[in-house]
Amino acid sequence: MSKFVSLAIASFALMGCAAALAQDKPPPPGPPPMPKPLTLVDRPNATGGEKLYVEHCAMCHGPNGMGQGLLAREGKQPDLEKRGDLRKPYIVFAARHGIGNMPAIPPGEVSDADLNAIADYLAAGPHGEAK
Amino acid sequence: MADIPLPPGFTAQKMAQAQRALESALGADKVFFTGPDRESYEDKFAVNDSAHHPSGAVAPESVEEVQAVVKIANQFLLPLWAWSRGKNLGYGGTAPELAGSVVVDLSRMKKIEFDEQSGVVTLEPGVGFYDLYDYLQENNLPYWLSTPGNSWGSVLGNALDRGVGYTPYGENTKNLCGLEVVLPTGEVVRTGMGAFSNAPTWGTYPFGFGPSWDQMFVQSNFGIVTKANMWLMPEPESLMGMDVEFDKPEDIKVMVDTIGPLRRERVLTQSPSIGNWLRAAAVLTRRTDWTDKPGAIGDDVIAAIRKRFNIGWWGVSLRLYGREDINKAAYKVLEKAMNDAAPMLIKPTTWRKGEPLERTGWTGTPMTFPMQNVNWYGGRGGHIGFSPILPQDGTKALEQFKRTYARYQEYGVDYQGSFAFGERHLINVNAMIFNKDDPAFMAKVDPFFRALVADAKAQGYGEYRTHLDYMDLVAGSYDWNGGALRKLNEKVKDALDPNGILAPGKSGIWPNRLRGERKA
Repeated sequence: MSKFVSLAIASFALMGCAAALAQDKPPPPGPPPMPKPLTLVDRPNATGGEKLYVEHCAMCHGPNGMGQGLLAREGKQPDLEKRGDLRKPYIVFAARHGIGNMPAIPPGEVSDADLNAIADYLAAGPHGEAK
Repeated sequence: MADIPLPPGFTAQKMAQAQRALESALGADKVFFTGPDRESYEDKFAVNDSAHHPSGAVAPESVEEVQAVVKIANQFLLPLWAWSRGKNLGYGGTAPELAGSVVVDLSRMKKIEFDEQSGVVTLEPGVGFYDLYDYLQENNLPYWLSTPGNSWGSVLGNALDRGVGYTPYGENTKNLCGLEVVLPTGEVVRTGMGAFSNAPTWGTYPFGFGPSWDQMFVQSNFGIVTKANMWLMPEPESLMGMDVEFDKPEDIKVMVDTIGPLRRERVLTQSPSIGNWLRAAAVLTRRTDWTDKPGAIGDDVIAAIRKRFNIGWWGVSLRLYGREDINKAAYKVLEKAMNDAAPMLIKPTTWRKGEPLERTGWTGTPMTFPMQNVNWYGGRGGHIGFSPILPQDGTKALEQFKRTYARYQEYGVDYQGSFAFGERHLINVNAMIFNKDDPAFMAKVDPFFRALVADAKAQGYGEYRTHLDYMDLVAGSYDWNGGALRKLNEKVKDALDPNGILAPGKSGIWPNRLRGERKA
């Protein structure tokens, strides 16, 4: 996507250091770094449902992800891997049908077998800190 | 099967025959025709939930399987609608233009090859920005991506729909260099140097010999792109720049007239995007955090938002990329120009290779959190946008802003606008965030959108990209010489796709047998 969120990414600038007046010199150091996205390179030993979760879900439910941000806004544990209250049928239903602002995940993108493995992994949580 | 959406000329029985043929060719695990399957391929951000429903979907995993699908489609006169990952949210996402089409979901085609010396990556359409980012990290490749605000989607799909990023490689479609395409009749072609057997230069010289066709397959329905080369930006030695805030709505004029010359002169080589105060508020908060009043947000709330986030009416982030010595010299030019424009705030930023990296779109880091803006109104959020191309002229940008802002006030929608720089143009993105659970609000989205199209048309401004609902409307606005371009597009369509099976209606291009489906 999309240019719709193009202006929204400028909000990065709001999440860093305090502003300086235009005439301030020399430039201060830049804002502190945002967290690195979670991808498979960060979990080299991941297998099964955990690996599939990182591959297919972490872009939204990992650091700086839309899902993580919106769950935090609702006062919920935003990291699905740290949840102990997720049940497999709920996970499968939410993924296939979408929930709240989350679009549905179609079967071409994540097969039934892979979705079941992801759901098994999350339902066995909490998994504690990232490995 | 009673409620299956059917394309023109189909019965449920004929669709069942087509489904069986697809299952026979691909295997049942790559063919999806149940009710829940179909629903998962509908448009998540639809304004009209009853439109653009597919009859089913298939997920081929190779070019040969794509060819098999195309062959069956020709046998049955079955309309197909192909996409890379279907995350083009706000433009239709996974859904087809013509109801009853079968979606060709290419998200399982995820091969990546990389020529480190040339900085050329060869991608299949299912490769997402996170996949490619991971590949570069895993292999310690010193290259950066050009990521859009929603990086959930396909690298190739984004370029094929003229999506943008924010680095010097931000006009993503310009980074394409040679495509592999399955034509609607099933043949496979390679463009550019790919037409020359075993050429090692397919990904380095875009034109080949004779006519060059890459852009013919961008925003079109002339073929299914199954592979393409893209140029990636070498990791720079240094990054310098500034985030700049301006106080008044009228400042859009001086911003455009200050940044434009720097962009045209290539002091700035990236693609800056000027955005308003809602960029912060809609991502980080909900509307109810600020007000419960209906209608467009008032000046008092705008002032409160700006105060809380310490931002201007407009803001823009500018970055310089490359060798540090050159960046330092260019920064002086940039700093003077921006100070002369009398901004409210300048927040400088600098980075050298080896230091902790700014994890933003300006460093090509993939992200999805900007999509949190769809939660602005609460409920099941979504958005659509109107994005005309403007001249890079401050006065004209200000006039366009005033016209558009007045329409937002008239329709009672909170204004989220941006002016994104190309090298010689501006894309004026006007986002309409909505709550699908608010019927009264949803009822005004379509007339609002059409009013914006008409306003811009009167000024000679046309959209660069649009949602499925408006492809015919926007195509119709490109009307010079009796719509000569659309006539040409449809001549080409009929020549390449005589059975009219591939993506009927994409970009307002209809095959001969389905031209009656064109909407007013």
